[in-house]
Amino acid sequence: MAGVITRLNKAKRNTRAAQDPAWVRWSLIGVSLAFLGLFLFVPLAAVFTEGLRRGVRVYLAAFQTPDALAAIRLTLLVAVIAVPLNLVFGLAAAWAIAKFEFPGKSLLTTLIDLPFAVSPVISGLIYVLLFGAHGLIGPWLMEHNIQLIFAVPGIVMATLFVTFPFVARELIPVMQSRGNDEEFAALTLGANGWQTFWRVTLPNVKWGLFYGVILCNARAMGEFGAVSVVSGHIRGQTNTMPLHIEILYNEYNYAAAFAVASLLSLLALVTLALKSLIEAQSAEQTQND
Amino acid sequence: MIEAQNITKRFGEFKALNNVSLSVKSGELLALLGPSGSGKTTLLRIIAGLEFPDRGAGRVLFNGEDVTYNPAASRQVGFAFQHYALFRHMTVFENVAFGLRVRPAATRPLETEIRRRVIELLSLVQLDNMDKRFPTQLSGGQRQRVALARALAVQPKVLLLDEPFGALDAKVRKELRRWLRQLHKEIHITSIFVTHDQDEALEVASRVVVMNKGAIEQIGTPEEVYDRPANPFVYNFLGSVNLFHGRVHGGQVHLGNTSLPAPEHPEAQDAPAMIYVRPHEIHVANQSNGQQSLPALIRDVNPAGPLVHIELERLDDGAKFAVELTREQSRNVQLTPGSQVFVELKNLRVFSEDYSI
Amino acid sequence: MKGRNNELVFYCAPFFVQPNPYEIISINTQKPLTYCRFAVILFPLMRIAREHSPLPGFRLTLGYSVFYLSLIVLIPLGAAFLKTAGMTWGAFVEAVASPRVMASYRLTFGASLIAAVINSVFGLVVAWVLVRYRFPFKRVIDAFVDLPFALPTAVAGIALAAIYSKNGWIGHYLEMVGIKAAFSRLGVVIALTFIGLPFVVRTVQPVLEALEPELEEAAASLGANRWQTFRRVLLPPLYPSLLTGFALAFARALGEYGSVVFISGNMPMRTEITPLLIITKLEQYDYNGATAIAVVMLVFSFALLLGINLLQKWSLKEWSA
Repeated sequence: MAGVITRLNKAKRNTRAAQDPAWVRWSLIGVSLAFLGLFLFVPLAAVFTEGLRRGVRVYLAAFQTPDALAAIRLTLLVAVIAVPLNLVFGLAAAWAIAKFEFPGKSLLTTLIDLPFAVSPVISGLIYVLLFGAHGLIGPWLMEHNIQLIFAVPGIVMATLFVTFPFVARELIPVMQSRGNDEEFAALTLGANGWQTFWRVTLPNVKWGLFYGVILCNARAMGEFGAVSVVSGHIRGQTNTMPLHIEILYNEYNYAAAFAVASLLSLLALVTLALKSLIEAQSAEQTQND
Repeated sequence: MIEAQNITKRFGEFKALNNVSLSVKSGELLALLGPSGSGKTTLLRIIAGLEFPDRGAGRVLFNGEDVTYNPAASRQVGFAFQHYALFRHMTVFENVAFGLRVRPAATRPLETEIRRRVIELLSLVQLDNMDKRFPTQLSGGQRQRVALARALAVQPKVLLLDEPFGALDAKVRKELRRWLRQLHKEIHITSIFVTHDQDEALEVASRVVVMNKGAIEQIGTPEEVYDRPANPFVYNFLGSVNLFHGRVHGGQVHLGNTSLPAPEHPEAQDAPAMIYVRPHEIHVANQSNGQQSLPALIRDVNPAGPLVHIELERLDDGAKFAVELTREQSRNVQLTPGSQVFVELKNLRVFSEDYSI
Repeated sequence: MKGRNNELVFYCAPFFVQPNPYEIISINTQKPLTYCRFAVILFPLMRIAREHSPLPGFRLTLGYSVFYLSLIVLIPLGAAFLKTAGMTWGAFVEAVASPRVMASYRLTFGASLIAAVINSVFGLVVAWVLVRYRFPFKRVIDAFVDLPFALPTAVAGIALAAIYSKNGWIGHYLEMVGIKAAFSRLGVVIALTFIGLPFVVRTVQPVLEALEPELEEAAASLGANRWQTFRRVLLPPLYPSLLTGFALAFARALGEYGSVVFISGNMPMRTEITPLLIITKLEQYDYNGATAIAVVMLVFSFALLLGINLLQKWSLKEWSA
C-alpha cells in the first residue's frame, strides 16, 4: 500500500558508476523471478488449472448452482453497501484532516489505521461480542427480534470494519500534497463549499480516490476471516464467495472450489491492472505539474 | 474604498500583524512592500477573507460595510495567488469562466454571455486563442495572466495580487510589470499587490505601503518613500544606502572633521547620530571643497554597466562606503585605486542613534 | 459573534440529546458519559480550528468522521476489552496461558517472524532489481508484487495447499527429499511469506528510487568498489524502510487466518495458529476464552502499530534531514 504518490520520479540511472556487472545483475534478477514465481505466479496458475482440471463444462457448472449464485449475489451486495459507506467516510475524513489544522489530528489519523492492525478474526469477533446472543446488546436485540450476527447485517459490518481505512488512507496524502490554494481561489471567485468540493477538490484527487475504492472493493469482496466469524455459514443465505469456496473445498469438491476461486482471482487481476493504470496516470499528472 | 482598521493577527505566539490600519482609495494601485515575515501577505489575505483577524482585534470595511468575518465567497474580491492556483483539470477557458459558472442560477449569465466575456478577458490579457489549452501547457507568465483574467471575470470590487511576479524569471517579470501598470490604466480597478521587491513596488504602484514586523513603517507615493524615508528601516529597505556614524549638535551633524547642516535636529545636544546617504548622492572630487568634504581612499573601481561602482574607505576612521557615479560624472575625476579623493554628501538623512531598526 | 455559543450547543447536541445509539451503549456499559466527555473535549477544539481557515465543512466532516469511526471501530473494539474486564484475573490468565494457547503463540509469532525475515531478504532483492535493472515484462512483474493485497486470502490458501500438498506441483518434489510442506509448520511459514510479500518491496522501493545517483558516483570517485558502495553508501539509508517493511509484514502475518488454515492442517499444539484458536473457542461457545486471547493479540498489535508509526516518523525525519 505504498500509495500513489510514492512511486514517481523514476530517475534514469545509467551512469557507469551505478552499473553492476552483468553476472550480478542476472543472478539477482534470477533470484527475484524465482522467488516471485514460487510465491505469486505458481499459486495463481494453480487456481486456474485446478479449476479447469475436469473440463470447461464442470468449470462453468460450478457457477450455476443455486448456492454459488447466492454467494455471488451476497458478495456483490456486501461490496455495494460497504464500499460507498467507506467512500463517504474517506472523503469526510480526508477533507477534515488534509484541509484543516486541529489538535488531535495525528491521533485521529492513527485511529483510522487501526483496523489494519487487527486480525480479521478479531474484527469479526468484536461484532459477535457486541451483537451476538451472549453479547453486550445481544439480549436486547433478541427481545426485539433483530438478528445482526449470523445474518447479512453482521457480514456487512465486519466488512465495513476491515475495509474501513482504504479510501481515507489513499486520499489523505493526495489531498494534502495539493495544498489549499485552488480551493481558496474557488472561494474568492464566489464558489460555495459544495461547488468548491465538487468542481475543484474532487477532480484533483480523482485518481487517489479511484485507487482507494478499487482496493477497498477487492478487500470487501475477498474478505474471509472476519466474515467467517459472523456469517454462520448458512448455505444460500449467509455465504459469501470466499466462504462458499471454503465449503466446497472441505467437501473435496476441488474443481468447483477452484472454479469459484478463479473468479475471485480474475477480480484480483483486474484490480492489479487498474492499480498500475492509475499509478501511470497519476505519475503523468504529477509530471505535468 | 477599502479600509482595514486596527488589525491584529497572531499565529500561535507569532504576531503577524500588530494593530495595523490602512485605507485604500478607489481606483488606486497600492503595493504592500516588506521583507518576509512583515505581515504583508497576511494583511492581503485578511482583506480577501482567506484569513481572519484575531477576535475583536480589527475590522475590514468595503465601502463602509463591515465584512471582517464575511466568507471570501461573498466579498467579490479577485485574488491572484503567488503560484497562480489555476485549476489544473480545466482548460484556460473553463478557468476564466469558473467564477461565472458557480453563480446561482438567478444571476448566472447565459452560456453565450459567458463565452463572450471570457473571450474578451482573454483578449485583454493578450491570450487570444489560448482558451483550449490546459494550464500545464502555458509558460509562467501566461499562467499569471490567466490567473488575472480569472480574477477579473467576476468583476471584483478589488483585485488582490500576492507576489504576482515572484515565481517568474527576471526578464518576464519586467515585461509583466509594465503590462500590469498598463492594464490598470485601462480598467482602473482598485488593486493591492504584495511584493518584497522594492523596484517592483516603486515602478508599478501609485502608492507604496512599507511594512516590517507586522506594522506599517511608511505610506506614500513611490517618490515620497524613496526620497523621504520616514525612518532607517525604510531607508535601508528601499535601495542601497551608506551608513555613517557621527554626532549631531544644534542643527549640525559632525562627521570626522566635516560638519554638515542637519536642520531636522535643531535641539540635539551632542547626540550620537546615524547618517544615511545613497551611493548615487555622493559627489567625488580630486580636490577638497572645504568644510563639507570628507577625505577618502579609493579601494576598488568597477566601471562595468551604466554606472561606475566605487568602493571607498574613510581616511579618518577607516569605515568603508560605496559610491555610484554615472559615466558622465566619472570622466571628471581621476579614479585610481589607492589614490585619495574628497567626497561630498549631497542628500543625507540624519537619525539620532536611539532609533533602533 | 453572538451566535457562536449557540452553534457549539447545536453541534454537541447529537451527543447529548438524541437517545440512540449512545444510550444503548450506556445501558450496557455503565459508562454513559465517556462519549459525551469526548464530545465536550473535541468540539470546542473544533471551533478553534474553524477560525484559522476560510474553507467550510470542517465541523461537518470531522464530526462525521469521529462519529463513524466510533460506530464502526472504536465502540466494537471497546466491547472486546469490556468483555474481558468482566473476567477474574485467574480466569483471564487461565484463558490466555494454557498450554494449547501458548503453543499457538509460539507457532504464530515464530512463523510470522521467519516469514518476515524471508520477506526482508528477498523483498530487498526484488525492490533492488525492480528499481535498478531493465528486463522483459518488468512492469507486469512490478504490478504482480501487489497480488497478495488483491487476492482473497481463502483463494491463496487453497492454491498454496494444492501446490504444496504431497501430490502438488511443488509438494511432490519436496516429498521426494523427505520434506512435508503442507499440513506442517513449514506450510504456515509458506502462507505467511505469501501474505507479507509486498510490504518490504513497497516500503524499500520508493526510497531506493529516490537515492541520488551522485552518491554512488561520489563513492566510486573516492575509490570504493561496488560492494563497498552498496554496504556503506546505499544500504544505510534503506534501513528505516527495511525495518518498517519488516514490521508491517510481521504485523500482518500475526493476524492472518484465511491463507493459513487450508495449508496448516490445524492440529492442536502443533499447527494451530492463534486466530484459528479464537475461532475454535468461539465455536465451542467459550466467549470469554476467545475474547481473552483476542485482547492479548490486540494489545500486541496496537503496540506494533504504535512502533511502526514511530518508525515511520523517524525514517521520515532521517530522510528529510
